[in-house]
Amino acid sequence: MTATNEELELKDRLSLIETMIAEGRRTTGSYGWVFLLWGVAYYIAIGWDILGHNPWAWVITMTIALLLMMAILWYKAKQQTEKNPLTRAGRSISVIWTATGISMMMLFPAMGFSARFTPQIFVAVASAMLGTSNAASGMILKWKAQIFCAMVWWAASAVACFTSVAQCTVVFLVAIFLCQIVFGIYLMIVEVDQRRKVASHA
Amino acid sequence: MPELPELNPVIHGKLRLALLSLLVGVEEAEFTWLRSKTGATDGNLGAQLLKLEEAGYVSVKKKFVQRKPQTIYRITEAGREAMAEYVQALKQMLGGTIG
Repeated sequence: MTATNEELELKDRLSLIETMIAEGRRTTGSYGWVFLLWGVAYYIAIGWDILGHNPWAWVITMTIALLLMMAILWYKAKQQTEKNPLTRAGRSISVIWTATGISMMMLFPAMGFSARFTPQIFVAVASAMLGTSNAASGMILKWKAQIFCAMVWWAASAVACFTSVAQCTVVFLVAIFLCQIVFGIYLMIVEVDQRRKVASHA
Repeated sequence: MPELPELNPVIHGKLRLALLSLLVGVEEAEFTWLRSKTGATDGNLGAQLLKLEEAGYVSVKKKFVQRKPQTIYRITEAGREAMAEYVQALKQMLGGTIG
């Protein structure tokens, strides 16, 4: 083999390694709908709570949203013919969101039942938790859009401490709209585009 | 002139190199996923994975999910080290060839 041929083959090997590592880390999973689902669920809970004056509005809506999300995840996993392997980043993000979900499901009902609940504290704590999770996911994925969402949640968290009940509700609604509904739809568009690219390379 | 390192012959095969590179990025992977990513035939893929297993670079786990058999592969610590050494040697050789 000549020096040039050998060099080309070595470069080819290096390129193969890079391509395969990137291929292994590529995810075809879709999670935009999860953000959208929870955004809509928050809106329903807020609307039901304010307009319907139902003290169980949050508990019922959040429980239904959780069951619905688990049912959809289970159905999607069953439909999948080829299981994607778990990456370290994927596992880390999944653990962060699961822990956040458990924290919220434990803390907020407890605050409600103990009558130590004020809307401002709820918005401040919920927004801070969502900010932390979005920031952690965004930093793992090195994704500016999600880090921006984290900053919106953190800002909402801080602002909620200085507002009236009506003002903090508006702040929360705006943050949900931007970071759950708009971000969820944006993520779904990105995922469709990503799947189209994967299909065209197959 | 400094002596150029030798490339690990177990890893150097294109399919085996592709398999180890895929496994570096994930925690573990099913046989079917490795097949779809590499486009290899069942026979060839099985043979190359066996060579990697014999070298101690991958570990294999077999299980049944909904009565269907699943073969799951995971890169070992020795496999990671071998890959790192291979890439290092490759870069050194390319540096030598280019320079």
